[in-house]
Amino acid sequence: MDKTPETIVDQIMEKATLAAAVFSTLDQAHTDRIVRAVYEAGFNARVKLAKMAHEETSIGRWEDKVIKNVVATQLVYEDIKALRTVGVISEDRERGIAEIAQPMGPILAVIPVTNPTSTIMFKVLSALKTRNPIIICPSRKAVRCCAETARICYEAALNEDAPEDCVQWLTQVSREETQALMGHRKLALILATGGGGLVRAAYSSGTPAMGVGAGNVPVFIEKSGDIPFAVNQIFVSKTFDNGTICASEQAVVVEKTIAEGVEGEFRRRGAYFLSKEEIALLEEVAYDREKKVMNPDIVGRPVDVIARKAGFPIPANVRLLMATLKGVGPEYPLSSEILAPILAFYVANDFQEAVKICIDLNYHGGIGHTVSIFSNDDEKIKRFALLMNAGRIVVNTPSSQGAVGGIYNTLSPSLTLGCGTSGKNITTENITARNLLNIQRILWRRPNLRLAQFDMSKYLDESQDAKTIESEFNRNY
Amino acid sequence: MSMSFDNENGNLVCIFPHRLDTEACTRLEPEIFGELENFNNSVVFDLSQVEYVSSAFLRICLRVFKRFGADKFSIVKVSPLVKKVFKIAGFDQGMKIT
Repeated sequence: MDKTPETIVDQIMEKATLAAAVFSTLDQAHTDRIVRAVYEAGFNARVKLAKMAHEETSIGRWEDKVIKNVVATQLVYEDIKALRTVGVISEDRERGIAEIAQPMGPILAVIPVTNPTSTIMFKVLSALKTRNPIIICPSRKAVRCCAETARICYEAALNEDAPEDCVQWLTQVSREETQALMGHRKLALILATGGGGLVRAAYSSGTPAMGVGAGNVPVFIEKSGDIPFAVNQIFVSKTFDNGTICASEQAVVVEKTIAEGVEGEFRRRGAYFLSKEEIALLEEVAYDREKKVMNPDIVGRPVDVIARKAGFPIPANVRLLMATLKGVGPEYPLSSEILAPILAFYVANDFQEAVKICIDLNYHGGIGHTVSIFSNDDEKIKRFALLMNAGRIVVNTPSSQGAVGGIYNTLSPSLTLGCGTSGKNITTENITARNLLNIQRILWRRPNLRLAQFDMSKYLDESQDAKTIESEFNRNY
Repeated sequence: MSMSFDNENGNLVCIFPHRLDTEACTRLEPEIFGELENFNNSVVFDLSQVEYVSSAFLRICLRVFKRFGADKFSIVKVSPLVKKVFKIAGFDQGMKIT
């Protein structure tokens, strides 16, 4: 008799629960040995896994996927290797508080098609560092490379005596199984990286979830910014893995006084500014008007493939398609998030108008995620930052690499970027192992001396107002 | 500080002072709706001088929007800060704000 999705899921969760029980007994040194072994194995397989992911999904560039794998292994490992994640991790006798790190339990990792192998290695390292078993739920379009990545991680962990089944992975992905896993009573947490539908399903499952929001990153080149440098950095960022990182720039906003210079610099580096007719053709293949999302068929594809699908020719040296737009919103499909080497381009009359366009882009599907500015005017950088709703405001930095962290700034490297409550996430942080612990606190008796010395009967006297009580409460004896 | 009204091609342009706190709005509200009584063309709120808006002003915008609809009511020349207030309030979903 065929197994039902519920039976399969029950078996997976049974194994994960046993692994969690054994994991909870491991000490810090043993845990760290497992993490180091997984990091080394993942790092050593970085090229093979990048090529597998590219071959299977046809998305992005394998050379860039190698870099993603390096971030997900080496940089993530460097970030978490010294982190204490077992037992008493801090103790302050004066304040009378000690913190104990406890594992959360089985974690379900939802993996996107855009960054499959790197996201797995990042999540496995984070989960194992915190003694949580992990179940990998890959994208249906990246099952083989995900299975191979998970297998490499798991075998490396087992070689260091990790609990059996501490890493499991689905080799066939059905919606029923995924939903049953998400809502399983023994599942502790969902780490959801992927499309909006999947992330919403994770949040609706009843299991605690950490998800990501969509990005629609505006990059503002303010007039004090270094134009050649800014354009070079945006190029590096937007063409990286053919634009598949959700923190990659989606629209360039410039002030009129420097617009010509910026446009010229983009052209010199291989950007192709589309005509009105070409923009209309591109909109049809890049955006699904019915679902109001980008068309998955062009995600991470090179410019020549995209132009061919759209039906217009482009010169051979082109690396980026640029669309000059006059507005933001559903009537301008290319003002939305499109994970491909396509950039919208806006010219504003002045700083105020440029910031207003950035606010519109930020609120048009990218709320809480990332925004970017190139400027050498600190006062304007701060004014811009205060008006944006973004977990990460990157300055003079390629936003893809800047938001991921660990390369151009001291932010923790992560492949799951929180977008705050505006993006329907619980945090604006870059999710790391630090987020995968239950912290218990031992609280020794340390009486509040002001309260102990205060005449509590005064609370019962209605004639005592807040000011009088406060003055008495804070009196120096 | 008081507000002023302009007529541009039969449309009413309401030009507001820099600070639209509750007190100012209480004073301005009858003035605005007095002007709008029996008025059926387009209404434009010009916020070029406005640095602060209170919830009382947001309620005035809503009242005008409900009466005139998206086609005949727009808010123009907002500062980035005021634009963010309208975004957070969710007004950008229906109203024309530039």
